[in-house]
Amino acid sequence: MSDSLSRRSFLSLAGGTAVALAGLGLVGCGGSSSSDSSSDSASSDSTAKSLSGTVNCSGATSFQPLVEAAAKKFEDENPDVTIAITGGGSGQGLSDVRDGKAQIGRSDVFAEEKLDASDAKALTDNTVCVVGMGPIVNSNVDVDDLTTDQLKGIFTGQITDWSEVGGTAGKIQVIERKAGSGTRATFEAAVLGGESAPADFAPVAEEDSSGTVVEKIQQTEGAISYLAFSYFDDTKFKALKVDGVEANADNVCNGTFKIWAYEHMYTKDADEVTQAFIDYMMSDEVQGSMVEEQGFIPAGDMKVKKDASGTITNA
Amino acid sequence: MAKRLMPKKQLEGVGLTLTGACVLLVALVVIALIFMVAQQGLSAFFVDGINFISFITGTSWVPSDGVYGALPLIVTSFGVMLLATLFTLPIALGSAIFVVEVQPGFGRRIFQPLVELLMGIPSVVYGLIGLTVVNAAMRAIFGEAAGTGAGILSGGIVLAVMILPTVTTLSIDGLAAVPNEYREGSYALGCTRWQTVWHVVLKSAMPSLMTAVILGMTRAFGEALAVQMVIGGVEKVMPAGLLSPAATLTTALTSGFSNATTGSVQYHALWALGLLLMAMSLIFILIIHLIGAKGAKNRG
Repeated sequence: MSDSLSRRSFLSLAGGTAVALAGLGLVGCGGSSSSDSSSDSASSDSTAKSLSGTVNCSGATSFQPLVEAAAKKFEDENPDVTIAITGGGSGQGLSDVRDGKAQIGRSDVFAEEKLDASDAKALTDNTVCVVGMGPIVNSNVDVDDLTTDQLKGIFTGQITDWSEVGGTAGKIQVIERKAGSGTRATFEAAVLGGESAPADFAPVAEEDSSGTVVEKIQQTEGAISYLAFSYFDDTKFKALKVDGVEANADNVCNGTFKIWAYEHMYTKDADEVTQAFIDYMMSDEVQGSMVEEQGFIPAGDMKVKKDASGTITNA
Repeated sequence: MAKRLMPKKQLEGVGLTLTGACVLLVALVVIALIFMVAQQGLSAFFVDGINFISFITGTSWVPSDGVYGALPLIVTSFGVMLLATLFTLPIALGSAIFVVEVQPGFGRRIFQPLVELLMGIPSVVYGLIGLTVVNAAMRAIFGEAAGTGAGILSGGIVLAVMILPTVTTLSIDGLAAVPNEYREGSYALGCTRWQTVWHVVLKSAMPSLMTAVILGMTRAFGEALAVQMVIGGVEKVMPAGLLSPAATLTTALTSGFSNATTGSVQYHALWALGLLLMAMSLIFILIIHLIGAKGAKNRG
């Protein structure tokens, strides 16, 4: 009888453990709003140093390394804070912050472009930095400079041979990013001026990631694509000038180079910990060195600004 | 005799409850999954008003412009699947015959474990190898016409390698299951080894070979990651040939979800693709069962 009891108690123990684990998992996924609220009372009567809680941050992968590096430092300074950073893309980031699944949603594009106007309005836009992008070609292409019109012609299928833009004859192999990617949206807004390529024009590839673009542009004779500055590598491929302007951070800042976008960290009714982290992202500690180390441009350096419809004005 | 842990009857009850609960859990998961995919997928047609016929027959998939025509994706999915099967089948069948009929010792001890090793390699590794080796080979062979080397042919080749272990292992098992009396009878009639294999072994193993092929096809149809890396990912136009860059149902799904916001039309349209995939797998499974039933009947 004692044996039978022990078996039964083993079963109930195992079952209990499983339920408890599942419960823990659910709490983990839901984000710990409970600990956030408890931290309110704790921090109200002490200094800001006693922050605690979890911040979920999902979305665009393009500047995820920057946010991860900053989050690590922030966690070192605030040991009770956990910042959970996941990927998923801009669309995911925006829907997560809209639905309250994440406190921060990272995006390459303005929320207005992806969400309903009313949903977008409820979000707070924090532009942490600027990313510059430029056209790149296979190292063997003997063209160094293209006008915006020529770029437009190439990416809409009007220009198909390098000899038409002053190079040695050879087929232009257009490598695109996936429709809907932030990089592509930025490039098309600046180069195609809001138009999109005709329906019957097919590029030779539409890639999901910048890494694959690097790989393909190296391998493919006559290939052209576009990448963020942080991926630029003269040993692997060649970055082109646009209208005679070199693709670099200084030219983006002074407004002469037009292909760039903000990196957004959207929040919705940010709680104390979330706001503290956003403030940290905007502080000199991150903006001063970390942003540039990761290949981005501090938002404060910009002498021009862009709105959601792509209009550029002096800051 | 050792002391019983529980009265026999009680032990029976525990066993029945535990195994029953497992069945219930599996059934619950399957039903919940089907329900969820169907609910999200069907809302593309019933809530967002996408026309089902134009969804199936439309020749352009540009979600950002609200154009949802899944035909290029469907065609490509079937294209790479058939290509992969075409490449794999002769090799798998040939090596299965060698292993079972010619050199069983070598086959069982060395060849089969080697092939099964292929099954354990993660998709992304196949994708990377495809990206560097297969795509480069396409460019070297076909030159400018191959573009970056990414296309349906590259996808088919990578998938062929990926389904090779499934098809080979199942073919080996199928051939090995043919009773030895059949072979002995054939030899007794004066048939050579080749005649025996061709007319007796292959014929009586047909149902299990078909199952092997269809299971391989199912895997090829559902694979996403590796294909995505080598196929080029162009969703907006119908593929014009084997070298055209294209996208399958699965690659459109994986790359689309990162850019879609939950609840949007695009999001529902992607679920509809998932629903389509699920329907296809269902058809594959039905075919396997049909073949199984027919095989059982033939053997009496």
